[in-house]
Amino acid sequence: MIADIAVAIFLLAGILAGIRLMRGPSLADRVISLDAALVALMGAIGTRVAETGDSLYIGVLVVIAIVAFTATVALSRFIETTGRP
Amino acid sequence: MNVVSSVFILLGALIALLAGIGLLTFSTPYARFHAAGKASPIAFLMVAIGAGIEVGGRGAAELAIVAAALLLTLPASTHLLFRATHRTTVSDHLSVDELAAAERELAAYESATEQELGGGGDGDQH
Repeated sequence: MIADIAVAIFLLAGILAGIRLMRGPSLADRVISLDAALVALMGAIGTRVAETGDSLYIGVLVVIAIVAFTATVALSRFIETTGRP
Repeated sequence: MNVVSSVFILLGALIALLAGIGLLTFSTPYARFHAAGKASPIAFLMVAIGAGIEVGGRGAAELAIVAAALLLTLPASTHLLFRATHRTTVSDHLSVDELAAAERELAAYESATEQELGGGGDGDQH
């Protein structure tokens, strides 16, 4: 019950980030909104871990964290080197 | 789920929702990055604490590793995005801009040492 409510709130946060992802005026806005959406996904997976007691999904959390960091760093370097906002 | 972990997970979900609302409604890029970059690691930290209480043992240790990695890397990547935005857009609306002042100072220092090296180039045979 509470886990369902928490997953719904995380989904709403991800949808808000997705709206900014589509609307965002600059590329940096899109990058940070993708980051926020990935953190919302991580929160939903963590809620699933707490609900079922299944620690298998924690590896997925590690992978998502590393991929989000690498993508943000690479895209911010891309923004700096091309010089376009 | 017990009460404590439920409270932590709901708190984390509400903080993530707050990050989404701030990301959507703020007007300047710096305010948007601030809302998303500060609130997201705290939201996941709350969820990790709740899930760690629920799972316990080795799962809690792995969740602690994930939360520590996110707390270390997400502010760094947000900082890089701030710097990229500062270098590519005009930021006249800032009341305090320490990065622009520091970059001006660095450019002045580099041009000064350049002149010094150019002037001392022919005088280095002792």
